[in-house]
Amino acid sequence: MTVSQRQGGSRVDRAPLGDLAQVIDLILDKGLVIDVFVKVSLVGIELVTIDARIVVASVDTYLRFAEATNRLDLHQKGGKDLGQVVSGMTEGATHGGSKGATKGVIEAGKEKYDDFKSERRQKQGRDK
Amino acid sequence: MSGQNGSAVYVYAVVAADTDLPEGLDPVGDGAELVVIDHGELGAVVSDIGLDRPLGKRDDLLRHERVVNTLARETTVLPMQFGGVVSDDQAVVDELLGENHDYFAWALRQLEGCRQFVVQGRYDADELVGQIVADDPRLSELSESIRGADPDATYYERIRLGEAISGQVERIRGDDAVHARRALEPFAVAVATKDVVEEDGAVNVSVLVHRDRVSDFEQAVDALGDEWADRVNLRLIGPVAPYDFLPEPVDPESVETGAEG
Repeated sequence: MTVSQRQGGSRVDRAPLGDLAQVIDLILDKGLVIDVFVKVSLVGIELVTIDARIVVASVDTYLRFAEATNRLDLHQKGGKDLGQVVSGMTEGATHGGSKGATKGVIEAGKEKYDDFKSERRQKQGRDK
Repeated sequence: MSGQNGSAVYVYAVVAADTDLPEGLDPVGDGAELVVIDHGELGAVVSDIGLDRPLGKRDDLLRHERVVNTLARETTVLPMQFGGVVSDDQAVVDELLGENHDYFAWALRQLEGCRQFVVQGRYDADELVGQIVADDPRLSELSESIRGADPDATYYERIRLGEAISGQVERIRGDDAVHARRALEPFAVAVATKDVVEEDGAVNVSVLVHRDRVSDFEQAVDALGDEWADRVNLRLIGPVAPYDFLPEPVDPESVETGAEG
């Protein structure tokens, strides 16, 4: 769906842009905004699934890296796969910080939408 | 298309006049038809939308994206921000295309024939952390000393170890960003290095590529992927609309005489 045909053997993953996290990362809050635009309220995007916008440097991160070395030693002795650790840490971080800010955006959007609605009502009222 | 009685007009993108829409695209909202409203040199890709329902469901965003980026594969587009609505068809002509005609036409010329790609990489964390620890005897020692120990008793040691690794990841990431930029720049109209947001994220680069250079560019991405085969998994997204390269709304005349070249 996305990209051109590949010659065989490329290591690079050609990603169709269908994944919500990717779409949000790529387009949300981007694009032109024009004065006449009314932002209709943004409600209901399942933001918890975004694995973007994670705070990178933190104590939690440090601890996960330290944990990774632990697993790494085990892995070298034929133990667990670090891949599991990594996917675990992404998941854990996802439920952190970004929610509050996003909620603010949603509420701001809704306010404008409500303004827009009442403005239209006034307009219609005047037209009568 | 009307925009009366509780409906408005949802705007996806601005394109050149007389642009044909690709078939089979679903509009945001239910049942409305996707159309192009032309004015002067420009066309606005729009559909009617009811105002009785909030916008912003997963499906709304994905449909918006699908319309804009499918168009972007065929023609030069100026993507509008998700959720942009004007009151009716007349407003599309007067207030959107009319008011901004010169700016839009100028921006379309700036981006003519260009499309955006995004190159993202993730480290093989196994490889990366292993290498960092192996390269630094102090870290190997530290790692060795806390393995199997009571986590609470070694809390600060673990923080120290993780912080040191994190610092090295940052340094390596910086070097890799520079390297990726240099590898891709020769085939690009413009390159924008974006923040890496995942802990195992390696690079996140947006590249504006002219359609004549796309195959050269893709070969360069493949070459980078080969070079980094053991460390970084690369992903190429695109072509998509030039979200990261939209020209600022400035007075077109001052730009054409000034900042060019």
